[in-house]
Amino acid sequence: MIRKLDKITNKKWFSSLLWVLLLVIAWEVGAYVVAGAKRTPENILPHLWQIIGAAATGKKVAGGMTALQAVFDSARATLFRALLGFFFGAVSGFAFALLMKLSGVVEKLLFPYLMLIQLIPVLGIAPIILAITGDINVSRVVIAAILSFYPVATNTLAGFKAVEKEKYDLMHICAAKTRMIYTKVLIPSAIPYFFTGLKIAAPMAVTASILVDTLQGDGGLGCLLSQSLKHAMSIYVFWLIVFFSAFIGIIVSKVIGWIEYSVSPWRRC
Amino acid sequence: MSKEREIEIITRNLGVTFKDDQDKDVVALTNVNLEICKGEFIALLGPSGCGKTTLLRCMADLQKPTEGDVHIQGMTPKEVRLQQKFGFVFQQPVLFDWRTVKKNIELPMEIMGRSKGERSDRADEMLEMVGLKEFANHYPKQLSGGMQQRANIARAFGLDPDILFMDEPFSALDEFTKEKLHEDLLRIWRATNKTILFVTHNIQEGVFLSDRICVLSPHPGRLSAIVDIDIERPRSLEVKDSVHFTELVAKVRNSFEGGSIA
Repeated sequence: MIRKLDKITNKKWFSSLLWVLLLVIAWEVGAYVVAGAKRTPENILPHLWQIIGAAATGKKVAGGMTALQAVFDSARATLFRALLGFFFGAVSGFAFALLMKLSGVVEKLLFPYLMLIQLIPVLGIAPIILAITGDINVSRVVIAAILSFYPVATNTLAGFKAVEKEKYDLMHICAAKTRMIYTKVLIPSAIPYFFTGLKIAAPMAVTASILVDTLQGDGGLGCLLSQSLKHAMSIYVFWLIVFFSAFIGIIVSKVIGWIEYSVSPWRRC
Repeated sequence: MSKEREIEIITRNLGVTFKDDQDKDVVALTNVNLEICKGEFIALLGPSGCGKTTLLRCMADLQKPTEGDVHIQGMTPKEVRLQQKFGFVFQQPVLFDWRTVKKNIELPMEIMGRSKGERSDRADEMLEMVGLKEFANHYPKQLSGGMQQRANIARAFGLDPDILFMDEPFSALDEFTKEKLHEDLLRIWRATNKTILFVTHNIQEGVFLSDRICVLSPHPGRLSAIVDIDIERPRSLEVKDSVHFTELVAKVRNSFEGGSIA
């Protein structure tokens, strides 16, 4: 009996289930406490069934769309921008890491300042980017790209640097050309690090996109979010967006994990 | 027996001095004069800090000597290296995780630009030689330490190098695996007739494998003796139980300068 229980508790899904269960309980307890203290609990912490109910009803909340339709419609715009920014950020992150590895001078010039990108608040650079690009949608993509860039660049560079001296020695003995060392040794070695960078960057691209949506109108999850908070529509839309974004974050990192898994057969054993 | 053979490697007054953290000169190796014949199995033996690895690296063009020079087949080590005539086996297997065992063995041949078919055939041959045929499509992580080192040796032989450098290749392995690999290495060496330079700190290992042992002593690193190992070949593990083997081990041990090896 105990052994059977042990077997179940050791399963991967068990801990996930336990977490979800505990979160639901904590949430509901919180909601009851808040409901007892305030007259408008839905502003602060509504019950889960109220949120689910809001998603399920056909009631129109904005522009002839139901709550769920409104969320999906805005999500399409936001996620597309996030994806585009993520793609450019990842590509340029990898390219810069390669450049820094190729040239010590470039690394010395760039690397210490790369962190600055990470330190400036998104809402601080957003107006500057907007002033430069002159277009709100382009700036949203650029901001998602900037935020994706840093984790990808630093992790990939760490991957290049993690290559052991013996591997260089081996290449030297084989009289390998620099290009060969990169294609046969350095780049494949850095791939797992590159993926780590992608996994950190992806949720950041999504949250950044939602955040910069709030700067100006013109659609997107962030716009919907601020409208909902200002009671321009049902407050439950806010909660739907929160859950939806969390869900997207999980899906995105799963997808990246899956891509990594399928391109690296050696990690399966 | 080495007298009538062609000399392949010569070192003249070879020395390496480097600067330590406090900018003081440290003599890693000094005044090494050595002649190595083609097809010879040479052990470079000594305690840590005696410069044996430094000597090996100078010959393999992984390090520049600060004094004297090395000539290999009448050329500089760099010229010989660029002709891809070297093989190197490190203490760690240095295999590439993302490549199968077979693809690891093919890597140096890829760098040399050999054709796909030739690479594959040669890799199969090498796998057979080291007894890893069934593991061709495994990844390094799936192999034991001994098997990884076999793959490493197969890779070094795959290029058909003239000279094979081995830097304490078996020191991380257990005794049983080590003895098996000693026998295998001798078999492969006899079949391929390479010149092998084998760094070790294990006297028995050096005596069992080599034609001659170059004994190095530390502070400063220098060549303190060369001991001929006149045990008949082919050698089997039983040789280790003979009186002659024990005498040779004692002779090597006594040839260290500055006391015993710690």
